[in-house]
Amino acid sequence: MLSTKTRNSFISVFVVLWLLLFHYESLRFNYLNRFFGMEFPKFKFLFPPAGWIMFYRVDAVEGTGEVYGIRGEKTEFIDPHRIFDNHWLGYDNIRRNVMVTVLHPFYAENFCAYLRRKFPDYEHFSVMQVVYPSNVLHPGKRLMKVLYGC
Amino acid sequence: MGAELKKLSSFWNKAFLEERPSIGLSFFRIFVAFTVGAHIIPTLLHLDDNYLHTAFREKNTSFFTPLVLALVEKSPDGFVLFMTALFYAALFLFAVGLFSQLSCILMAVGCYYFYALNSLHIGTLSYDILLVTLFLMCITNYHGDFFGLDSLRRPDPFAYRKKRPFFVQRLLQLQIASTYFYTALCKFTVDGNWFTGNPIYHLLNSVPQSVVKHFPLRNFFAASPELCKLIGIVMIFCELSLPFLLFIKRTRVFAIIAGFLFHVMLVVTLHVPTIFFFLFPPQLLLFIDPEDIVAWIEKRRAANEKNGRDKIIYDGHCVFCRGSLARLLTLDFTGKLEPVDYQPFENPSELHPKLTREICHSRMQLVTKDGKLYGGFYAFQNLTLKLPLLMPLAPLVFFPGVNLIGEKAYDLIAKNRYLFHSKAACKDNRCFR
Repeated sequence: MLSTKTRNSFISVFVVLWLLLFHYESLRFNYLNRFFGMEFPKFKFLFPPAGWIMFYRVDAVEGTGEVYGIRGEKTEFIDPHRIFDNHWLGYDNIRRNVMVTVLHPFYAENFCAYLRRKFPDYEHFSVMQVVYPSNVLHPGKRLMKVLYGC
Repeated sequence: MGAELKKLSSFWNKAFLEERPSIGLSFFRIFVAFTVGAHIIPTLLHLDDNYLHTAFREKNTSFFTPLVLALVEKSPDGFVLFMTALFYAALFLFAVGLFSQLSCILMAVGCYYFYALNSLHIGTLSYDILLVTLFLMCITNYHGDFFGLDSLRRPDPFAYRKKRPFFVQRLLQLQIASTYFYTALCKFTVDGNWFTGNPIYHLLNSVPQSVVKHFPLRNFFAASPELCKLIGIVMIFCELSLPFLLFIKRTRVFAIIAGFLFHVMLVVTLHVPTIFFFLFPPQLLLFIDPEDIVAWIEKRRAANEKNGRDKIIYDGHCVFCRGSLARLLTLDFTGKLEPVDYQPFENPSELHPKLTREICHSRMQLVTKDGKLYGGFYAFQNLTLKLPLLMPLAPLVFFPGVNLIGEKAYDLIAKNRYLFHSKAACKDNRCFR
């Protein structure tokens, strides 16, 4: 059993280190890196990569990914909720744009394998990038591009 | 200089080292468990899609080192199943507060494991915040002091008063306050465009399948760019001032209510993760001084004592019964029960006209303030309606048919209660009879 003095010393050291680390990671990406013009190291396994940046920048441009299943001559849009069938309490991850991840070419091979397993009825798949330039200025306008096929 | 140092030391002591009741932290534990469960369990329901070798996985390379990601990637499906079982067990134990520090660590290990295995669905900015909270929860066992089974392992009717160094709760307070502050700061500095652009307007006018929910008045706000801009600026002002208002005693209640409303607004208008609703608002409650909570409980206890309490009649010669009573009194933190040992009473009918020594000996008895008598299982059943900490068991004990099993089980234990004694002299039921 530690004496109160020793325990308090441990706590004080921990608190100081924690507060330094917490504020370092809060400022590192957006402020320290820019101010000093260098890349400060990120503390792994804790804290977000770029500080607390919830909804910090929202523009008119929106983008997402869409998947189309191809069977013979027929091309069908696959509802993303069928692709990732997770149901959370009070929110919808698909609407948080989880589909944007599959657009990255790095994931193409794995995502294709996943689609083939999940939707064996389709012969091919087409993964499209969809961009809405501005729903205010051009309501409903969509720009689509095939990123990769399976 | 000496005086300044003394001042600083006194401030530091008050801020982090001073011992204060840990009841607030124990209460917060339940919400942490619920949030973790609500965030991760939905993904565990589809292991083949999310975690097994058949899954589509995303790696968070900025959070984990390549070595850890490579190691986790190699997990065979059997190990994923094992980690799933471990996670469920740890989550359950943490929620009920049994071995709360160990279960917290194991649960956090599960959170990290599934995050490393696939960050696609659970990995959000708010999940990183949750992990910071979990880290702080893991470093001590203070959150097991009350509202959990750990407090029943070491029964103490005054467990709600248990004092601990305040640093964990203070760091959790600083965490949420800083999160608000930095979130607001990013909105108008660096790449943030809340002053230069009109994010709320763009959000409200986003495509129907976007992150914005369909809530009443959405169309009205979506057609009012100036109003959206003004709301955005007011929100930044609120987020910047909230951390300070939370630490000022006079404005604290207002700040907590404002924070609550802010999170309600987020949940109503946006598809934000569970963490925003189940973790952040309870974290705001950590700003309530635990001494005030204890003072409120003491007040309730005094009022209950003054207005008369239900009598719980037990066998004072039975160590097992005394232990069970101590657990019951730990759960009865507002002091609704008055324990009465029937042994000194030649005629227990003084306590209730229907009571005899035989009846008292056979079962624990509950005499309510209005003179009703309940014995054994039915006394316990009644207590689940009276003691807030037993209320979660009420649906179970009142489930049709449970009373038949419950009554028999209770009587079996009661009949053989002296066998539970650790004393060598009490190896049979004849002791103390």
